[in-house]
Amino acid sequence: MKEIKAIIADDEEQLRSYLKSRLLEVWPDLVICGEARNGQEALDLMEKYRPDIAFLDIRMPGLSGMEVAKKIAGTCRIVFITAYDQYAVEAFENEAIDYLLKPVTRERLERTAKRLKEQIAASTEPPLDFSEIVGRLMSNLQDMKTSGYLQWIQVQQGDSIRLIPVDEVYYFKASDKYTMVITKEGESLIRKPIKDLADELDPNKFWRIHRGIIVNAACISKVSRSLTGRSIIRLKDLPETLTVSRSYTHLFKQM
Amino acid sequence: MKQEPILIDRKRVLKSFFYTAFFNTVIAIFLTGLKFGSGIFINFIFAQCIGLTICSFVLIAHYFLRTVSGVIQPIAIILAMIIGSVVGTLLGMAATGANISIFVDKDVPFIHVVLIGILFGSIITYFFFSRERISRTEILIQEERIKRLTSEKKTVETNLRLLQAQIEPHFLFNTLSNILSLLDTDLKKGQNMLMDLIHYLRTSLKKTREDTTTIGQEIEMIHAYLHIFCVRMEDRLSYKIDIPDSMKDIPFPPMLLQPLVENAIKHGLEPKIEGGEVSIRGEENGGILRLEIADTGVGLYKGGGSGLGLSNIKERLKSLYGDKGQLILEENRPSGLKAIIEVPYERDQGNHSR
Repeated sequence: MKEIKAIIADDEEQLRSYLKSRLLEVWPDLVICGEARNGQEALDLMEKYRPDIAFLDIRMPGLSGMEVAKKIAGTCRIVFITAYDQYAVEAFENEAIDYLLKPVTRERLERTAKRLKEQIAASTEPPLDFSEIVGRLMSNLQDMKTSGYLQWIQVQQGDSIRLIPVDEVYYFKASDKYTMVITKEGESLIRKPIKDLADELDPNKFWRIHRGIIVNAACISKVSRSLTGRSIIRLKDLPETLTVSRSYTHLFKQM
Repeated sequence: MKQEPILIDRKRVLKSFFYTAFFNTVIAIFLTGLKFGSGIFINFIFAQCIGLTICSFVLIAHYFLRTVSGVIQPIAIILAMIIGSVVGTLLGMAATGANISIFVDKDVPFIHVVLIGILFGSIITYFFFSRERISRTEILIQEERIKRLTSEKKTVETNLRLLQAQIEPHFLFNTLSNILSLLDTDLKKGQNMLMDLIHYLRTSLKKTREDTTTIGQEIEMIHAYLHIFCVRMEDRLSYKIDIPDSMKDIPFPPMLLQPLVENAIKHGLEPKIEGGEVSIRGEENGGILRLEIADTGVGLYKGGGSGLGLSNIKERLKSLYGDKGQLILEENRPSGLKAIIEVPYERDQGNHSR
């Protein structure tokens, strides 16, 4: 019978060796042909040995285990490893994806080994739509964690560059080619036109109320309508009011 | 504190007119019932003219004087009512084509109409303003309640997050897995790591119940934490701690520094293939304690949120020190991030005099 080859990818040396020795206990015939310390090394090993099974830690520097899985889907069977990732584990359960929890227990490893052996013996092909499933999982998990929107504003302060979380910005105001960033602490200028900023900020949190003004919705304390029909915005903690220009009034229509 | 003026917006203006028109109708019916004036139709027109004019004048006076405080505003409103009543009566006369003789016939002189206008005008204006005041007080009470509830919620959340931060499951399970493995391969190393973990858990768990600890204790715990990571990440991690001995027994809030060290590793160095260094520095200068945690990691992690930990630290600094305590984030050179905590400190409170 043809020998079954596997690789192990985890950034922590101890965890690789632990998994390796436990695996060999429950599955002595398994050939572990390589160990990778990061996603890229895992890909290189795949290329080199064409293994039947890849054990991939999810959190790895460079490429994550999921990213590696997406690239090699269809070429081998994948078992994910994670120390604790509630959402990922839930998602794996739903998609019937193999996974191991660190520290791996003998029982669990035996079960996984048995299933892998059966699948390989029946020579069923590794599922081709795996990459699609993983891709979907990744985007779901990504959504849960963070958005792709701008999170930080970099502001020059003396000779250092300070980082301000966008959530702390009250509003942005266009100033020629630059943009004024107004926070509770004061104002600072950044070298980015407000037009570009508008594209990078989360439109659910940052509302453009004027050609030259983007306001943090969380910092609005009150919106009122003036006698001329304009919406006037009052901000928390700051004395100034902002006027919504006509073309953006629809934002506040239902208020 | 200055009282916020009542806002006048379009919705409120329309509402006022609507209510006024309603009251006017009631008044017209009421007066007709008393056999006052010249029939329901004429009375209705007069009531509307006078009422709506008073309403407009009062609103205009209120609008222009909304920021003026003191007695000027009520006086202006009374004046507006009187003028409104006179103008309204004249308007009513113009609208009905009636001249003053109607009233003369019926023994209703001009001045009576005006006075009735003022009488009802006062009642309605008073009604509006007191209602406004009541609703405004209600809003204030509501806002206070929301504020209180929010701050209570925040405290609970902070405590929860503190607890979670100390025993972050990912950290715990990975560390335990490492220890398990070391028990096979390097017993001594495994034991040491277990001791570090115990030390870390004990100090951090103890701290939930204490309001302050010392910089020295905090650093000792961070030492254990970093030591654990040095075993786990091997040559990918190095660290140095540079805190003058004189600072070590200065009181300091617990779990402010540790999350920053955790961030440096989790978001800065762990994702970096070649790893890097964490350096912790402290100095005391001119009544300010400054603690700096710098890493040479990947820097601003892409798409990484502004970090639960960071806003948590900011909130705690704010509640402990007001505007005097701050967390500053900077780019580290040549790579990575630098987090700086600055808090006020007075020498004598630490018994440092030699």
